[in-house]
Amino acid sequence: MARRKLWALLALSVLVFAACGDDDGDGDGGGGTTGTTAEGDITVGVSWNNYNEERWALWDEPAIQAALDAGGAEYISTDAGSSAEQQLADVENLISQGADALIILAQDGEAILPAVASALEQGIPVVAYDRLIEDPGALYITFDNVEVGRLQAAAVFEQVPSGNYVFIKGNSADANADFVHSGQLEVLQEAIDAGDVVNVGESYTDNWDPAVAQTNMEQFLTENNNEVDAVVASNDGMAGGVVAALEAQGLAGQVAVSGQDGDQAALNRVALGTQTVSVWKDARELGTAAGEAAVLLAQGTPLEEIPETLIFDSPGGNQMTSILLTPIAVTQDNLDVVLDAGWIDEAALCQGVESGSVAVCP
Amino acid sequence: MTDVAKPPLVELRDIRVAFGGVHAVDGVTVDLQPGEVVGLVGGNGAGKTTLIRTLSGAHRADSGDILIDGESVTINDPRDAKTLGIETIYQTLALADNIDAPGNVFLGREITTRFGNLDYSAMEDATRKLMNRLNPKFKNFVTPVQSLSGGQRQSVAIARAVHFNARILIMDEPTAALGPAETNQVRGLIRQLKEEGLGIFLISHDIHDVFDLSDRISVMLQGRLVGTVNKDDVTTDEVLAMIILGKLPGEVTQKDLAELH
Amino acid sequence: MTETEVSAAGRAEEAPGPVEAPEAPEPASWRATLRSAEIDARLAGMLIALAIIWIVFHIITPGNTFLTPRNLWNLSVQTSVVAIMATGMVLIIVTRNIDLSVGAVMAVVGMTMGAIQHDFLPDVLNRFDHPATWVIALAVGLVLGAAIGAFQGAIVAFVGVPSFIVTLGGLLVWRGIAWRVASGQTIAPMDSNFRLLGGGSEGSIGGTWSWVVGIAACVGIVLLQLMKRRQRARFGFALRPVWAEIAVGVVGCGAVLAAIWFLNRYYLPAGIVEARGLPPGTNVSQGLAIPVLVALSVAVVMTFIATRRRFGRYVYGIGGNPEAAELAGIKTKRTIVKTFALMGLLVGLAAAVQIARLNAAVSSLGTTMELSVIAAAVIGGTSFTGGIGTIAGAVLGALVMQSLVSGMVLMGVEAPLQDVVVGIVLVLAVTLDTIVRRRAAA
Repeated sequence: MARRKLWALLALSVLVFAACGDDDGDGDGGGGTTGTTAEGDITVGVSWNNYNEERWALWDEPAIQAALDAGGAEYISTDAGSSAEQQLADVENLISQGADALIILAQDGEAILPAVASALEQGIPVVAYDRLIEDPGALYITFDNVEVGRLQAAAVFEQVPSGNYVFIKGNSADANADFVHSGQLEVLQEAIDAGDVVNVGESYTDNWDPAVAQTNMEQFLTENNNEVDAVVASNDGMAGGVVAALEAQGLAGQVAVSGQDGDQAALNRVALGTQTVSVWKDARELGTAAGEAAVLLAQGTPLEEIPETLIFDSPGGNQMTSILLTPIAVTQDNLDVVLDAGWIDEAALCQGVESGSVAVCP
Repeated sequence: MTDVAKPPLVELRDIRVAFGGVHAVDGVTVDLQPGEVVGLVGGNGAGKTTLIRTLSGAHRADSGDILIDGESVTINDPRDAKTLGIETIYQTLALADNIDAPGNVFLGREITTRFGNLDYSAMEDATRKLMNRLNPKFKNFVTPVQSLSGGQRQSVAIARAVHFNARILIMDEPTAALGPAETNQVRGLIRQLKEEGLGIFLISHDIHDVFDLSDRISVMLQGRLVGTVNKDDVTTDEVLAMIILGKLPGEVTQKDLAELH
Repeated sequence: MTETEVSAAGRAEEAPGPVEAPEAPEPASWRATLRSAEIDARLAGMLIALAIIWIVFHIITPGNTFLTPRNLWNLSVQTSVVAIMATGMVLIIVTRNIDLSVGAVMAVVGMTMGAIQHDFLPDVLNRFDHPATWVIALAVGLVLGAAIGAFQGAIVAFVGVPSFIVTLGGLLVWRGIAWRVASGQTIAPMDSNFRLLGGGSEGSIGGTWSWVVGIAACVGIVLLQLMKRRQRARFGFALRPVWAEIAVGVVGCGAVLAAIWFLNRYYLPAGIVEARGLPPGTNVSQGLAIPVLVALSVAVVMTFIATRRRFGRYVYGIGGNPEAAELAGIKTKRTIVKTFALMGLLVGLAAAVQIARLNAAVSSLGTTMELSVIAAAVIGGTSFTGGIGTIAGAVLGALVMQSLVSGMVLMGVEAPLQDVVVGIVLVLAVTLDTIVRRRAAA
């Protein structure tokens, strides 16, 4: 937020001084190894694919560090700066620095395989963090994307048990788009077969692009003469496009809309009542689980004895030992969850919300 | 024929141009009087075009002076040259193929209305009048010049050069793309412009053209000036000897001349 | 002007005045009619292609929904963002350059405008939806867009780095900076006045004003005809026969008014009518959407710049023969910088429309938009060999592309297959163009 204001100020000065703006970012100095925090016999190396994304520094890293601290392990890390090649070198670098276990957020789940195989051969356990690495020797920790779809569909279905449904799916080239959609269908298939729920429009969305989702939604509304009762959108950005299209028809708030990610704008829409649900994946939970698992693995615990694991059949045909965390469906009824977690502040959540209409907005 | 009291209209003094160590023009001095045609001849790569491009602003000289009416001037680009009343007909014609004839004639110097908008009608009208004098057969004022014949394109290039009250005209192979009738037309035009008091540098491969039209002839060989002669004082063979052998009429022997044939 | 004219007349041997004998009127073939109507054959061809696409979609879409006022209204709004940028891309490509960075610049400008109106101005002005907010946000966006364009253009023109490279670098740089403006977060909602730029039920001008715009356009067409006629009469040029003149006027005016009539049959949705306190079932025309008006105004202004101003003439001159332009005394480098700055300005405007329409600034704004914009210009007849391309063509190109996409969504064609179709159409259009041009040259 502060950075946005700084940028806004900078850009405003463009107008005033008719001078060219400049990047505010002094960057986080990609590529290098960042500092150490705790001392201990165990060292856990974390390979970020692109530390520049705000989420990692803000939520994931502190959670991992806290878990490692608690387990008495030392934290070292590298940043591949979105380069799959760099990440291969990073993993070797972490091993040579004495990492006893690795947590890898893969830039490319295929390209990283040689490095993972080499680590495993050296007896260094690997945690595949958030993104799948197709090596059954690694422990896969992620949120359950199928569950995301189930939660989206369930929240929408609860509000609209029968009627015309539109499905705004993610990028067709992204496996997660299909995971999410399969979860949605698990919940709705029965009602579809019974004829209660009618699929009146379904499309993939290039790059999960909100503008494309908006255009597609406009077309679905045109095609169905506005007779749409619910929209199962796979993420919050696209839900934003859908709601914009609904608003133009005066339908916002009357049509149930789902999303995921807990975007600030989406949570605000949930408070406003124009979006039904945003499925939220608390990154800190993921970080804690990965940190704890890494410590256990480094201490020699076999994969299958890590608590709360199950076997996940990956798209690549591997039986992955996995920890699948359950995301939370945030609706108007439980907005306090994101507020209490410090995920969003009240001002952003309640912007434009009539006071008293939602419990959390005074 | 030259008036000694008056400084020449143009004098190029000790001009040098080098391209990466190769002296394309090496200390050449030529001059031009009002109402005079100076033919500039020489073989391929003699440096004629390069020399003349320093005057038209297409290329800057490495050293040397350009004097107009006896005063030293700086010509950095074609705009400077045009401001000084120097117009050029390039061998390549330098036409924008996608634009019509009036557009090319006025390219860079468009006629505009008082609101600054292009005045198409005025430009077309001026071009029609020009063409009526230069090439009455020219009728195509609205299609891109790409679709015109070589002679018509040449007419457009000439029209552009003569329209703007030039004092000094540079013509680089003005008849190369023309048939006999059109060539005669251009010759007539050159004489007419000379009558009007313009100074003309004429570059041509055609020695007959040069003899027919020029008052004086400057010969270049390998970037250097062989010499400048009055047309009436020399024969074509003597000029050929200058071009090919680099020998002035006084130095050349009958044997040399015989070998030329 | 007078000076040069006098000189021309002075040198001419005849007395000034109409020199040319009046030309015989051209034969009234359809070709000549088109030419005299100043609609070149390729533009007419595109209109026919568009009509075919529309009719085919109308027949094959379930429920025959394509040629309905509502769908065409949607189409007009959906086309406007790409159309706005395509008009600038024409000039860039005409000068034998390319701008691959438009999508990324759109993101950085969009995020900036979003941050200004969402985070910065409400603090400074002390409330959301302050009446000055949208003006400031838009002005910053336009200036920032133009500055980025000019910066890239300066590297192309003065340093001599190929525009492909400069803007490819720009694509990466600006996309990254856009991300940093809001650390990848979505900025929403937008200022409510600013949102009018995006259309929707509020951002439309209503039936009455749409008629006003239509009639004004009509008057404009007739005035242009009269002015042109007077100009030609002034110099004694051959005049178009009166019947042809009237026919052109009637067809032009008729097309404009028919379009307004058709679009005005798209009424406000029931929900909005109710919200405005009107009796249910009232038919209130939405009228033209503001983004469509913006795009149409841009097209008119850009056409004017391209064809009636020196700058436009220089752009085409440089495209036709860069050396000739330089030798003609045109400041070619400065002209190139201006084309890029103009492109940037239009990207800023398009970004404003896009974030207003979406009611959110997202860092993925404009992803792959550069491809749509370039494709629109190329389908519209802009040639990569330089010097050839029209603004109207590019706008039509954008409309053709969006028609294909919208129609296919109505038919339920999946996104990857849509890309396949648009890709084929792109290559087909250019192939046809190349063949026709080659035949014309032969």
